[in-house]
Amino acid sequence: MTPTSDIDLRASFDAEMRAAGLSLAGRDYELLFAMWTEHRPQREALRAAVPMPDEEPDA
Amino acid sequence: MSADTLCDLDLSGVADAIHGGKASSVEVTEAYLRRIERHDRVLKAYITVMADRALARARTADEEIRRGARRGPLHGVPLALKDLVAIAGVRMTAGSRVMTDHVSERDADVTERLHAAGAVILGKLSMHEFAFGRPVVDGAFPTGRNPWDVTREPAGSSSGSGVAVAAGLCAGALGSDTGGSIRGPAARCGIVGVKPTYGLVSRRGVVALSWSLDHVGPMTRSVRDAAVLLQAIAGHDPGDPSTRHAQVTDYTAELEAGARGIKLGLLRRFYLDSPGLHAEVKSAALAAFDELKRQGATIEDVDAPTLDLAGAIWVTMLSEVYELHRETIRDQPQNFGEGIRTRIYMGALVTAADFQRGQRLRARLRREIMALFEGVDALVFPGHAAPAQRFEDIATGQIVVPGSRYTNVWNLLGLPAVVFPCGFSRDGLPVAIQIVGRPFDEATVFRIARAYERATDWHTKRPNPEAWTLTS
Repeated sequence: MTPTSDIDLRASFDAEMRAAGLSLAGRDYELLFAMWTEHRPQREALRAAVPMPDEEPDA
Repeated sequence: MSADTLCDLDLSGVADAIHGGKASSVEVTEAYLRRIERHDRVLKAYITVMADRALARARTADEEIRRGARRGPLHGVPLALKDLVAIAGVRMTAGSRVMTDHVSERDADVTERLHAAGAVILGKLSMHEFAFGRPVVDGAFPTGRNPWDVTREPAGSSSGSGVAVAAGLCAGALGSDTGGSIRGPAARCGIVGVKPTYGLVSRRGVVALSWSLDHVGPMTRSVRDAAVLLQAIAGHDPGDPSTRHAQVTDYTAELEAGARGIKLGLLRRFYLDSPGLHAEVKSAALAAFDELKRQGATIEDVDAPTLDLAGAIWVTMLSEVYELHRETIRDQPQNFGEGIRTRIYMGALVTAADFQRGQRLRARLRREIMALFEGVDALVFPGHAAPAQRFEDIATGQIVVPGSRYTNVWNLLGLPAVVFPCGFSRDGLPVAIQIVGRPFDEATVFRIARAYERATDWHTKRPNPEAWTLTS
């Protein structure tokens, strides 16, 4: 489910930080949260764009 | 020939002066060193100036040329390298406090090739931290000021390379380009910038940012200069596996063949109709496309729907950046600038599934673009979204700079791309267009760019050194 409130967003962000093994506080935390929030539409677009089964990486 | 006259020449002009006996390599090198001494306190293009080494190499070049042992068009010509390209025995910082005391043990492959060509290396050029940081005007590693307006940024990350070439502080430079770091500064400084095909130029000895997106390429004052410089650095290097299929051709053989018969595809929807495109860049680009048509090219609109996902596919870069810096940022986060630190941390939040999805969509985008090349010889569109910004107007906190869509798509696909000047904004700032070609078809890209260049005089314009002062 897509978080909508700031509390939900921060909970989702904190969970991803923990999963990634990141432990940030203060300004580093806030800057990353802002960047992560700004980037969410791009990530959702990525996840919504389902490749065809035969579309494999060739890069 | 006066020192300032020498520094106003392009690379080919400098080479002609040296090889025609109008100036020695030592005289040219001294002219650049004096100009650096006089202006780089403001412009901040250089991190390290290698005056003694440069003069020693210039003396050797003069001696060899006198003996008739001419090595080629770069023999004796003073160049400079972005400070992430290794020169044995010389400090290499990548613009970061993390590498403040790092001294390279051996030359990068491109350095070896330039030395073999007889080039004189003047020094190492400023850059955004690890090619992914923010522009800064002070601190240990300022990133340079735009010679067309020193209150504005020159773009990055190869900022010093753009500044040095535009300001005549070297005859040509190398930069690196992971998402537009050669082409952005080239566009905003009014010079030619080339991101070659992925795998054409070795990255051995070049500080990496993102292994599948990094490219090394020339930054010069003319298309011919770019072709000459690329010729010197291109080719297979066993030390960089990405170059194992490198196809090097003669980049100057067809340079003057003109644009007649060339079919160009204009990515109108994604680029020309983008709401982020500055009106003056758009009008200059449209005028440039008309000039290309006058030169005999045909232009048709083309499109690739997956271009809309290019920004999303860009997550693959974040993963690669994080993988490269993970241990260092864990051990010494305080030595990274704030801008790059946040961007690196973002890479930790990209999941394996997101990365793989990005790779699959990247392949789809590549197939769509390669299909376009069945009907056209090259793609054309504006070189950048907007002219150079004032330092105080630069947005911070973003993963990529606004307008990066004009450049980073072509890193994802590894295709050759050249940016070259097509006019000036009302504020007197350079604007540019871009040509993208088929893999390893740099020759056609150069030919088209040269056809435009010889019909116009934008590439001959020089910024005014008297304006290189700071009032406060």
